[in-house]
Amino acid sequence: MRNLLHDMNPSIKFITVTIVMLGLAFFFNPWTPLLFFFSILVLQLVFSRINWKIWSLFMLPFVIGAFGYLWTTIVFGAETGGTVIWSLFGFDVTDEQLALALSLSFRVLAFSSLSLLFALTTDPVKFVMSLMQQLKLSPKLAYGVLVGYQFLPVLKDEFFQIQQAHRLRGAAVEKFWWQRVLGVRRVIIPMLAGAVRKAERSAFAMEARGFTGEMRKEFFRPVSIKAKDYALSAAILVIFISTSFLGSILSN
Amino acid sequence: MTPMPETIFEMNNVSFRFPDDQSPTLSSISFAIERGERVAISGSSGSGKSTLLYLLNRLYPANCDGIVEGEIHLFSKPADSYAPGEINHRVATVFQDPDSQFCMPTVEEELAFTLENLNTPASEMAERIRHVLDITGLSHLRHVSIQTLSGGMKQRVATSCALVMNPEVLLLDEPISHLDPYTGKEFVLWLDQLQRTFNLTVIAVEHRLDYWGTFFEREIKITSDGRISEDATFEPHEILRYPFRLHSILDETALSATGLSVKMKGNTLLQPVSFHAQKGECIVIAGPNGSGKSTLVKAICGIYKKQAVKFASDPCGYVPQSPEFLFLTSTVLDELAFGGMSSKLELDDLMESLRLTEIKEQNPFSVSHGQKRRVAIGAMLADKRNILFLDEPTSGQDEKALLKLFRLIDSRLDQGDTVFIVTHDMEFAAAVADSIVLLKDGRMTGKFLADRVWQDPELLAAHNLLPPKGVTRRAESFA
Repeated sequence: MRNLLHDMNPSIKFITVTIVMLGLAFFFNPWTPLLFFFSILVLQLVFSRINWKIWSLFMLPFVIGAFGYLWTTIVFGAETGGTVIWSLFGFDVTDEQLALALSLSFRVLAFSSLSLLFALTTDPVKFVMSLMQQLKLSPKLAYGVLVGYQFLPVLKDEFFQIQQAHRLRGAAVEKFWWQRVLGVRRVIIPMLAGAVRKAERSAFAMEARGFTGEMRKEFFRPVSIKAKDYALSAAILVIFISTSFLGSILSN
Repeated sequence: MTPMPETIFEMNNVSFRFPDDQSPTLSSISFAIERGERVAISGSSGSGKSTLLYLLNRLYPANCDGIVEGEIHLFSKPADSYAPGEINHRVATVFQDPDSQFCMPTVEEELAFTLENLNTPASEMAERIRHVLDITGLSHLRHVSIQTLSGGMKQRVATSCALVMNPEVLLLDEPISHLDPYTGKEFVLWLDQLQRTFNLTVIAVEHRLDYWGTFFEREIKITSDGRISEDATFEPHEILRYPFRLHSILDETALSATGLSVKMKGNTLLQPVSFHAQKGECIVIAGPNGSGKSTLVKAICGIYKKQAVKFASDPCGYVPQSPEFLFLTSTVLDELAFGGMSSKLELDDLMESLRLTEIKEQNPFSVSHGQKRRVAIGAMLADKRNILFLDEPTSGQDEKALLKLFRLIDSRLDQGDTVFIVTHDMEFAAAVADSIVLLKDGRMTGKFLADRVWQDPELLAAHNLLPPKGVTRRAESFA
């Protein structure tokens, strides 16, 4: 039961999430995104085993962003009609303004929760395999992405080694953050030089094992689509449709 | 009755040129290889021996638009009559870099990737994976993440991925050049078993044949201009003879450490160590992988935070295994002048002594590997860092490069600099080192006089090191 979202076919999940994202963009009332956000939370509570600590960490910047939207729209929003419901330091806040501000910030929450639902329950390797098997993504691209994914830890190591070496030479004593950002350029050049060599070697190694980039016919672990994938997809769509109806009713 | 020898590869007066090059990389190459042979292709770096290998597995000429002249026959058919990928399950290849041969996370998935390439029916895959892991003795690694494996194990996994295709020929492109000698020797013994089991034809490109013992039956030597200079029965290789070096230790302490230890995030990476180093002394730091060699070096150089009861030293310079990690500027001259610690005159002298004068206007990223190391050493010395720490400078170097490295270190020692070398290569250590610091599991076993260590095979074996061949032989001849 709590594995359902993790085991869901990644391509179906991806398509569902994309459709809902596009759909959400058409609702400007504050209730729809808010209800949707909480429904997604409940869905994750019931059908997933995600680490809520990590979820909170990822969510934090979005929450700050959402609050930023709320604040700036209330305070700096262009004058709109409606009744003044609140007055502070000479700012008049109208009900319409508040509705717009809330709608914007709840949308940020709704979009980010949905993205996190996808990101935290999907294994990247399985996602790429599924894209290749269900959505006919070219194996050249798919395995290219996978090789890149394998390189990430190596590149991270190299980044730190180069940084250490540069610090030793007294090249990394910049005081301000913008100087450090510019300094990254120096680290990137040797890394890129190494990455190009590695990429060529990997390509050779893959080709030497018979990889031609043609569509493959046999899969060791076929990523299949089962009835429950459609069911989960339908569940997410139902959540979206019902919250959008409910939201429209509540806001009128 | 022995079966009729069957020729599988044949080259007839073949030459090969990269489209951007003026002169050919290979020229007038002719040879034939029979089924079941074990052939070594030797030659110095850049002699085109890898290119020759890539002509046999069809990676070239298609991947580089190279221009081939002459006839290449693979399994009695012209090479260019094979479709892309067609030959690769009969001719499998293992490359030199253990870190860039894999595209999947686990061993099992990597093997499956290979089988999928061959359109093996899905129902057979699990059994073939089980079988190849069984034969290669890697069953326990089936679900292990490849990135967590050591270099030696990665090379075995790469070989298994080659063997799962049931190939007839195994091509090896310097498979042990990134491994330490101890691991390399184990790999060769393991490969020896597999060759017998599968009755493979093995063709290996290698510049350090002394580690291969009597593995090969035949050796094809390629000259630096890409011609075959010799094609004969394999003779076990003489180890590389370094010139004799006189000690140059001065009576002046360069570094003294008492109770130096390294802790990070609550873990003790290095238990307290104590030792001294003199000016003009060459100290080799050795021990198994993960024993704390790099930690020690980085702590002394100030890259890692260290705790010490007492620590005093002249400024320390660090040259990483990839010297280009140090580079910050776009010319060799600027690179040396970057620290601003040396006068114009001192820089000129330094560049002269490191033979950098002729490349001083070039970009340090574009010079050869040996030159990069000299630039890095120059940059350190120009900053008045006269204690040098060289991290794995011998890894992947051919004989010519090793001799140059020897002379470079020798000349720095004569100048009164102190040189620390992290290496597994005990032949090299025996040629340069005055003393050896042995480390194991984050502890220092001790700092020994070099000659004392070579007399103690147990001590070496306990640190996964092979005794240097030249020295033991010399000791035997005295007995």
